[in-house]
Parts: sequence; C-alpha cells; structure tokens
Amino acid sequence: MAILDKKKSKVSDEVPSASMADIAFLLLIFFLVTTNFPKDKGLAIVLPEQGEDVQVSQRNILHMIIMPNGIVEIKRGESSQVQQVSPSAIEGLWRQEVAENENMIAAVKTHPDAPYKYMVDVLDALHMAGAERISLQLFEG
Amino acid sequence: MPIKGGGFARKSEASSEVPNSSMADIAFLLLVFFMVTTVFQKDRQRPIVWPEAEATQKIDEKLKNIQNIWVDRDGSIFINDRAFEMSEVATIIGPLYVASDRALVISIRGDREVTYQTIDLLQQQLVAAGVVRVVFATMLEQRMTRERR
Repeated sequence: MAILDKKKSKVSDEVPSASMADIAFLLLIFFLVTTNFPKDKGLAIVLPEQGEDVQVSQRNILHMIIMPNGIVEIKRGESSQVQQVSPSAIEGLWRQEVAENENMIAAVKTHPDAPYKYMVDVLDALHMAGAERISLQLFEG
Repeated sequence: MPIKGGGFARKSEASSEVPNSSMADIAFLLLVFFMVTTVFQKDRQRPIVWPEAEATQKIDEKLKNIQNIWVDRDGSIFINDRAFEMSEVATIIGPLYVASDRALVISIRGDREVTYQTIDLLQQQLVAAGVVRVVFATMLEQRMTRERR
C-alpha cells in the first residue's frame, strides 16, 4: 500500500498560464470590434456672419414658403404668382431654375408654426439638387 | 587533433528564444492603453425623433470639435446634458467657439416635430455667438423606404 501512495497524479493542478496571452488578445480584439464611434451625420449649412447683409436682385431669388401643413409655396422674385408644390417636387424644380439662371438663390422661408421636419425636407431636396446658395429665413406675415 | 573546448561541451546560458511570458503583459498594456485613450461622447442620447434626409452626409470634423445642441419636442434646449434657456445659448456657445480656435461645428439635433420658430431663434443665437458652421443632424433616408411627403 505504501507503494500505491507514492503514485503521483499526472494531471497538473495549476491553471494553465500559457493561454493567458490568447485570452488577453481575445479581450483586446473584442473591445476593439465592439467599440463604435458614432460619426455625426446631417445636413451642413454655413450661417451668415453677424451684420452680413447682402443685397440681392429680386430676379435671382426663388422664394420657398413652407406652410405648417408641409405645402411649399414657390414665388419667383417680385411676381406675386404663387405655385404650390410638395417638398419632393423641389429637387426637380430647382434643377430647372438653375438651368435657366445659375445665380439663383434659394430663400427658404419657414412659417413659425411649421414643424422642423418640413424645413429639413426642403433643405434635403435642395442639397440633392446641388444647391449651394441657400438662405434660411423665418416667414413673416 | 585537439578536442574543441578542452573536452567540455560548453553550453550557452543565454536563451536564444524570444521570451513569451511577457506577451500577456504587452497585451494587457495595449488593452489598457486603448481603454484609456477612447473618448466617449459627453452627452447622453435624448429621446428625440430624428428628421430624415436623403442628402445626409458625414461631418468631416474631429469628434471633439462637434458640439451637440439638442432640441426636444417641447422646444427645450440641452447642451452637454444640461437644460438651458434659449437666451443663454449664445453666452454658452460663444466661449466654446473661441476656445476651439473657431473650428467648432454645431450639430443641431432637433426633434422633427419641433416648430421652426425654435430652430430660427437658435440660429439667431448661434449667429450672435459668431458660429458659422452648423449641421442639422438627420438620419439617412433611403429612397426605397421613404414615406410620402
């Protein structure tokens, strides 16, 4: 029996430390992959600087008046003729206008009670049509 | 013929292998380094419904140069998780804009249903603070899933 007691177990009773590096790398890669940096997205616009008033000929202005119900009223310069369109029609309309007059400026006038999303819709359409000269205003009267 | 080394097989005591017991230390060092250098956004998401736009573009600016201004559905304004009055915005943003070397980009994160009057007042505040670059934060809209408008 004494001989039997001397028999050693061949199974190591230590936690294997050789795979520690693998575990550490696994954690490293896991955190690298799961970390996401939310890149901000949106419609960029450049605001005018304070006191920067530019006189523009009425001929070069396309007024877009956004009503609280989302209907957009288009007025060309000084003419009092009003055309009612939906925001989705603005992209094509703007392309047409620019083809006729490349100095055209989009004056987006939003009604104070109109939801923000309608202004974004119009701004989106103008961006899609490649408009660069956009003026955001509040509709008065 | 003389025996090399005088008959003693001399062994080098310096190991010729790269020590790999410190590999774990290196891995942890990298892990800790990346954890420390990762900067998370300062403010929490607010419960707003994003406006959607097809022309949504990524803002080409460093994250630290982007300042979010949240506009809730009821028109209340939050900057860095704190509520502010509309008239305070210019005095808050002005110094931040100067501190950033005029590189600051303001991201207006407005709820889609907020009235335009609020957004217009906010723009006036930003103009008063001297800010030029503004982004209306939107979600990208797919043409296929676009709702009729």
